[in-house]
Amino acid sequence: MLEIHGMNDGNGYPVPDPARRNADSCGNRRTFLQVGTLGAAGMASLSLADLLRMQATAQDPAKPARKKSVILVWLAGGPSHIDMYDLKPQAPSEIRGEFRPIQTNVSGIQISEHLPYQARMMDKLAIVRSAFHTNAGHGMGSQWMLTGYQPTIEVNDNIYPSCGSVVAKMKGPNEPGLPAYVNLPRLLPLGKAAYLGASYNPFSPDSDPNQDSFAVRNLKLPGQVPIARLDRRRVLLGELDQLRRDIDNKGDLIGLDKFYRDAMEMVTNDKAQIAFSIQKEPASLRDSYGRNDLGQSCLLARRLVEAGVTFVTIQAGGGWDTHGDNFKQLKDNLLPKYDQAVAALVQDLHDRGLSEDVLVVSFGEFGRTPKINGGAGRDHWPGAMSILYAGGGLKMGQAIGETNAYAEYPTSKPYSVGCVLSTMYHCLGIDHKHVFYDPANRPLPILNEGEPIQELV
Amino acid sequence: MLPPPRHVPLGPLNIAIFTIAMFVGCVSLSTAADFENEIQPLLTRYGCNSGGCHGKASGQNGFKLSLFGFDTNADYEEIVEHARGRRVNVATPEQSLLLLKSIGAMPHGGGTRFGPTSEAYQILKQWISDGAPAASPSAPRLIAIRIEPQERSLQSGEIVNLRVIASYSDQNERDVTKQSAFASNIDVVANVSDEGVITAGNESGEATIMARYMGQVAVFTAMLPHGTPLAEIPNFSPRNYIDTLTVDKWKKLGLTPTPVCDDATFIRRVTLDANGRLPTSKEVRDFLADPNPDKRALWIDRLLDSPEYASYFALRWGSILRNSNLAGADQASYAFHNWLKDMLSRNRPYDEFVRGIIAASGEWQDAPAINWYWQSRDDQLHQVTADTAQVFLGQRLQCARCHHHPYERWSQDDYYGLAGFFTRLGRKSFGQPPPYFASATATTGEKNPRTGKVPEPKYLSGDVAMFSAEEDPRHGLVDWMARPENPFFAKSLVNRLWGHFFGRGLVHEVDDMRATNPASNPQLLDALTQDFIDHRFDMKHMCRLMLNSAVYQLGSEPTDGNKKDRQNFARYYGRRMIAEVFLDSVDQATGTKTKFNGVASSARAVDLPHENFGSHFLDTFDRPRRVTGCECERSSGATLAQVLIMANSDETENKIANGQGIIAQFLKDQKSHDEIVDELYLGALSRYPTAEERSKTKYFIDAVENKSEAYQDLLWTLLNSREFMFNH
Repeated sequence: MLEIHGMNDGNGYPVPDPARRNADSCGNRRTFLQVGTLGAAGMASLSLADLLRMQATAQDPAKPARKKSVILVWLAGGPSHIDMYDLKPQAPSEIRGEFRPIQTNVSGIQISEHLPYQARMMDKLAIVRSAFHTNAGHGMGSQWMLTGYQPTIEVNDNIYPSCGSVVAKMKGPNEPGLPAYVNLPRLLPLGKAAYLGASYNPFSPDSDPNQDSFAVRNLKLPGQVPIARLDRRRVLLGELDQLRRDIDNKGDLIGLDKFYRDAMEMVTNDKAQIAFSIQKEPASLRDSYGRNDLGQSCLLARRLVEAGVTFVTIQAGGGWDTHGDNFKQLKDNLLPKYDQAVAALVQDLHDRGLSEDVLVVSFGEFGRTPKINGGAGRDHWPGAMSILYAGGGLKMGQAIGETNAYAEYPTSKPYSVGCVLSTMYHCLGIDHKHVFYDPANRPLPILNEGEPIQELV
Repeated sequence: MLPPPRHVPLGPLNIAIFTIAMFVGCVSLSTAADFENEIQPLLTRYGCNSGGCHGKASGQNGFKLSLFGFDTNADYEEIVEHARGRRVNVATPEQSLLLLKSIGAMPHGGGTRFGPTSEAYQILKQWISDGAPAASPSAPRLIAIRIEPQERSLQSGEIVNLRVIASYSDQNERDVTKQSAFASNIDVVANVSDEGVITAGNESGEATIMARYMGQVAVFTAMLPHGTPLAEIPNFSPRNYIDTLTVDKWKKLGLTPTPVCDDATFIRRVTLDANGRLPTSKEVRDFLADPNPDKRALWIDRLLDSPEYASYFALRWGSILRNSNLAGADQASYAFHNWLKDMLSRNRPYDEFVRGIIAASGEWQDAPAINWYWQSRDDQLHQVTADTAQVFLGQRLQCARCHHHPYERWSQDDYYGLAGFFTRLGRKSFGQPPPYFASATATTGEKNPRTGKVPEPKYLSGDVAMFSAEEDPRHGLVDWMARPENPFFAKSLVNRLWGHFFGRGLVHEVDDMRATNPASNPQLLDALTQDFIDHRFDMKHMCRLMLNSAVYQLGSEPTDGNKKDRQNFARYYGRRMIAEVFLDSVDQATGTKTKFNGVASSARAVDLPHENFGSHFLDTFDRPRRVTGCECERSSGATLAQVLIMANSDETENKIANGQGIIAQFLKDQKSHDEIVDELYLGALSRYPTAEERSKTKYFIDAVENKSEAYQDLLWTLLNSREFMFNH
């Protein structure tokens, strides 16, 4: 998808010179400064030239470009690391909790007894146990984990662009006619593009793929409008819509034309419809993912990346915020669905030969307090958290980093949010030091700290 | 290679003498290089202290410099004293980490910055072997820089070599072109190289080239005329000073304007811009039929007197004043919205309006504007400081919280000086929002990091402000703002209004006014500012003046005489309707009404007091979340989901085919084909169809058997046309 809408520099001028925004964080001071004085609106939108350059540089001519993509399973609320991937059976009972570790198919790695599917495919997974940050608020923690930047104020909207929006801006969709960045099953809070511009906000079906009535919002023709009627409308629009395309200086008119063509293509052509048609999956495969919103969202995500969507974020239900009744919630509800869905997804990607090209990553905004509270719950704990990676060309079959005896803090290989996300960008071939500009014209690299996790790359 | 000259007296002398002076400079090498005057510029030139590297707040790999070298003492300590002194090795200078890393002889995340034979290397090495002395207190201090030449009119492809001259406290001057950083604000008009060489581009207009050297900035203006300068602007009759001052600029640039728009375009445009709604089909008919030659001015008066003027501008202000119901302020957000509407509809002077916000005190029922403070709820200080500067003074001061503003004169002291007006703002511990009051003592734990003390009030003009314990410093701040000589306050508002009506500020962005981002027409901005002050901050007076200008009423279609114009308003710059206005327009064109929970059923989208009324439509069209004080939160940029809503959604389809909708009503009333088509065009596009459109639509409707569906198809087409989505 070429983002033609942004073919201007915020001053309304076209942007002919792709080289001028070739700024990396420690890079050429001059280009850095030139970019810094451009208008904020220009910063918020990608020029055609920009995009062409990025696509060109993203491809190493020596090896054919493969369509890399990411599926992020977002465990909103904060998953309990100590009950999932970083169990402490030696800790006192008020810490270790009810769950016991089980052996995985990689010797030396144990995970929770309530993740049996994943335990059987540990060779296809990697766990980082030593991730951490320092903010225990849902909004701020989520913004930090999803964007790489810690916000200074708790707000319900993106101050910094979500990683999916960054990917949409840097790479676009792998296949034209499809959105680059999709949220399943609905729009994610804090999944937006902020200063990158509305074009890089996620697209969402806004519908639960586990329901028989699942349909992408506004992709299916409205009931009373058969295709023939849409066709005649389009012809009439072509006849009548004669407004000159050069009356605005922001490129919105051209952008609308472009998205209109995309939209009509999506509506009238099979490609997007088929990508979203989870109903076409065999019942047995649908069963293997689990017949619930998370399971079916994972399956749909696989269909989407297969078809050419670059980044999918799945909101894994809710309820990970287990302040009360942590163990019952986890073992009866959260973990069985999560375990089955992620394991099925990873297996399915392997079966289809996609595991090297598709990275599956799973995390939430923080871990949970090792100390169990009075309500058999665990509270917010950003001091240690576990991150799950699968595929994407990373080295699997490992558990990386350690926390202390109570799973409170990393004792080795502490990995910051920037490390977690730069590993993900690494899989996509995105330079995480690439600089964007916020409305105050501050140069903000995609990530302001962190390097890919060495054990994985 | 020899080091560059130092403090060479340039004065009024010519280049030949400058060459000799350079030689003199080389001879004087025996004294060690001054850290501030010689070493810091090198670290800046090679990007060491840039925001992506060691200049960022957290430094890089344990080595932290001040951004762009604004803090000489701290940087000196960091380089010479920290890291156990390994960064400089006086005994064996070439073993200094500073040098080894810079030339890539040791692993360095920033790579090789310069080679061992470079001038920079030699200077640094010499400075280290001289004992790495600190900046000398007696060394001359940099006072200012200037660019020579300051402005030029250029033809495409023409080249200009800039020189940057630094002047020092000892009256000496020095050519620092090689050490300066350059940037063009519009490089397709004029590009600038690393060496300060300007190349005029292919686009016309004006570009500002900034040079920066050690915290000082200077600008060069490159003008690329659109045509040969004109003695007259043909077929254009100025109506007020906006027109005459704009004409001056057009003449200079060789621009000719698009002719003034027709009445139908005018009524649609001005009703959207001043009232945030489409004119009704009846209003358009009546206006077009009205023979009164003054009808445009009369219509403008009517719009400015209408309650919808207040509603619309309350929406615009509410967005940048963060009026929200978050933080448990549902009622307060309604109250603040109504307060804004009331102030606007009574056209209270702008300083009174601003005082009501900045100096808001008491309970929300009495002072609803305290919601502005409550929604910021960080520590009542930083966000409010930054917003005050940006919203009311057109200054983006955020940068200066942590470091000297890279493109402006603002320092951390300026930032904390402004913050100092808010340090005694207290709030009670009950209520949502709680009552706010001016405390006699500081209520914040925030400290100015440079002094370690609670910030003390200082005006941005530099004057220190003193207040007794009984006084509320915030009133003092507004008093200062409202002084006629205040350089920011009035100018910022007229520029904001200009940006609203003309689609681009005279200074662009509207809230980023600085020397390095000058107005496209400074004379006009100054005249408007003075007018606003003379009229005692009368906002409607300014609106009336702008809307009645011939410049505002120009057509939007580019002509050969102005097709490259993007700065000087030689045509009206078309733009999309904002989310709220657009939804209301869809409602109006389809004869339906979107309902929102919790407000009267008559409330339109522009009437909503805060952003938390669930609406997939509004969110898809990027209704701002009210999380910044920046107009830019309404980002432009089309999306797929927007197109799908308009072209392929049940939501829009249900409006088009609504049983109580406009088509159903027309058919029920048995209107004729011509009447229906006229009404649809007038309602959606505020004009009659052209002859060609009449014949095309007739052909289409005749060909479709189901007339109801046929007219619905036509309405769908109008709603999906760019003409409908745009204000043009």
